[in-house]
Amino acid sequence: MTDALVATDVRKAYGEVQAVAGVSLSVAAGEVFALVGPNGAGKTTLVRTLTGTATPDAGGVELLGEKPTAADRERLGVLPQSFSPPERLTGREVVAYYAGLYDDARDVEDVLAAVGVTEAADANYGDMSGGEQRRVCLGSTLVNDPDVLFLDEPTTGIDPAGRRTVWSRIEEQVAGGTTVVLTTHDMREAQRLADRVGLLADGELVAVGAPEDLVAEHAGAPSVVVDVDATADGAERTGERDRGSSGSEQPVVVAERALADAGMDVTTHGTEVRVRGVAARDVATVADALDDAGVPYSGLSWREPTLEDVYLALAGETYDADVQDASGIAGGRRDGAVAGARTDGGPTEAVQGGESS
Amino acid sequence: MAASRSFLRRRVAVFFTFFFPAILVGIFGVLVQTDAAGAGLFTKPASYYVPGYVAVVVLFTPLSRVGSEVARHREHNRFEKLATTPLTRGEWLLAQTLVNVGIIGVATVLVLALTTALTGASIVLSPLLLVYVPVGVACFCGVGALLGAFADSQDGAVTASNAIGLPLLFLSQTFVQPALLPEWFHPLVALSPLTYFAQGLRQVIAPGSTDAGTVVLDLGPLAALGVLAVAAVAFLAAGALAIPVTD
Repeated sequence: MTDALVATDVRKAYGEVQAVAGVSLSVAAGEVFALVGPNGAGKTTLVRTLTGTATPDAGGVELLGEKPTAADRERLGVLPQSFSPPERLTGREVVAYYAGLYDDARDVEDVLAAVGVTEAADANYGDMSGGEQRRVCLGSTLVNDPDVLFLDEPTTGIDPAGRRTVWSRIEEQVAGGTTVVLTTHDMREAQRLADRVGLLADGELVAVGAPEDLVAEHAGAPSVVVDVDATADGAERTGERDRGSSGSEQPVVVAERALADAGMDVTTHGTEVRVRGVAARDVATVADALDDAGVPYSGLSWREPTLEDVYLALAGETYDADVQDASGIAGGRRDGAVAGARTDGGPTEAVQGGESS
Repeated sequence: MAASRSFLRRRVAVFFTFFFPAILVGIFGVLVQTDAAGAGLFTKPASYYVPGYVAVVVLFTPLSRVGSEVARHREHNRFEKLATTPLTRGEWLLAQTLVNVGIIGVATVLVLALTTALTGASIVLSPLLLVYVPVGVACFCGVGALLGAFADSQDGAVTASNAIGLPLLFLSQTFVQPALLPEWFHPLVALSPLTYFAQGLRQVIAPGSTDAGTVVLDLGPLAALGVLAVAAVAFLAAGALAIPVTD
C-alpha cells in the first residue's frame, strides 16, 4: 500500500518552545491515523506542518508525493482547530462557499444531508448549536470528496449524539478510500476510528501502533476499582491519612493493607482503591478480602484497560502520579513510562528519540 | 458572493458605510458651506470638494472593512482553512476588493447625488469616474489587508485604519488645498496615493475648480490615474503576501 503522507524528523519551534521535536511518521493511503496527546503536546503544530500551513524548521514532509505546499488542493480536506466561518452566513451558504472553491465539488444538498444539518441549513451559522456548527464545518471539509482528510479535534464541543454523527460521516468517508489524519483528546474517538494511533508528548511521538496493540503494550492488566466508604466508621476525613478524627484506622488504609496482604497490586486515590492485574474470574477474591477485613465500600467495578490508560500512562497525566502528588509520595510514572515506550519492542512500533520506524 | 452577503447582513456596518459620507456632506456641504470670498478652508467652489467626499468612502470603507475582515479571518482560522483549498490569498483579496468596489460604487452614487442636490455643486459625469473609483478602492483594500495582517485584533485593525485614514483624508488635496500646508509637508502629500485620486478625479469631474499650478505634482488625470494604479497593484500584492496562513 502506498503512503499518502510521510513525515521525516519534522521539527518546529516557536521561540524557545520546541513544539515539534523530531517527529517521523507515515500514513498509508486509506488509513486512519489519530494523533493524541495532552494540550500543548504539539498536535496542531504537527498537523500544520503536515498540511503545509506551517513550515518546519527541519525535516521533510511528503503529502500525496509532493511537498505539502505543492500538493493538489483539490484532493485535500482540512478542518483546522477552532475554525469557524462567518456567523451571518447560513449553513447552506457556508458549504456552498467552500464547494465553490473546487473544480469538482459534491452537491451541496448531499453534503448537508451527509453531515445531518439539512433542517438547520437555513439558519445563520452564528445561531446554530455547537454541534450543528461543527457539522457544518465538517461539511465544508468534505465538499471536494478529499483523498486526504485532516481533522484537528473534529468533535470538540459536540454532544454525544452529534459526535456519533460525525464519527459515522468520517467512517463513510474512510469506506470510500479517504486517508484520515485526526487529532483528538477523546480516546473513544481514537479507539473507534483509528487504524493506528500516535501518542504525542512534548513534541515527540512516544508511541505508535494499532489501538489494541498499544493497549496490550502499555495499558497494563485489567483492574478492579473499589470505592471505599471512608465515613462508615463515623470518622470524617481530616487530611490525616492513617487515622480518622476518632483515632480509628481509616477504612482506606485497612483496605490497602488487606489487599496487599492478599498479594495484590494496590494503589489508592482518595477513597478509590485500585487493584491491578485482576482477571474477571478473580473479582470475587477482591470482594472476599475486603469483607474479611471488614472494609465498607459503596462500589466495586472491574474494567479492562483502554486507550485512555495508554494515554494516561504515556502522556504523564497518570492516575498514580495524581495519587502520589496528593498523598505526598514522591515520584510519578511519567519518566519511566516514556522511557519504556522508547525502548520497548513488541507489537507497537519502537520509538527512538521521538521517531517511529 | 459570500463576502457581500456577510456584509449586507451586518446592518450596522451597512448603515454607517452609507451614512458616514452623508453626515460629512451634511456638515461640511450644507452647514459649513463654501465661502469663495473668505479665507481658510472651504473657500473653493462646492464642486472642488466633491472628490473629497468621494475620497471619504474610497478611503475609509476599504481600510476598515478589509482590515477587520483580515483580522476576523485570522481569529477564526479561516486563512488556515483557505490555504488548503485551491483559493490563493491573492484571489481572496481580489474577491474582497470586488465586493468593496460594488459597495463603494453605490456609496459614490449616493455622495454624488447628495452633493449636487444639497450643495449645488456642478460636476461632469465622466466615464473615467468608473475607473478612478475601482482603482482607488483596490489601492486601499491592499492597505487595509496590510493593516489587518499586522494588527493583533479586529479592534486593532479598525483603530489603525482610523489613525491612518484621518491624516490621509485631510492632507491629500481633498479638503485642504496644498497652498495652506507648509512647504516641508509637500513631500508627504506627494507620497499619499489619495492625493492622486483626489487630484485626478477633480480634473475629471470638476475641471473648473482644480488646484492647477498649486499642486505638489501637477499631473494630468490619466497620469494621476497611472500613479494610483501602480500604487494599487503594489499595495494589493503586498497585502496578499502579508496575509498570514495561520494565526
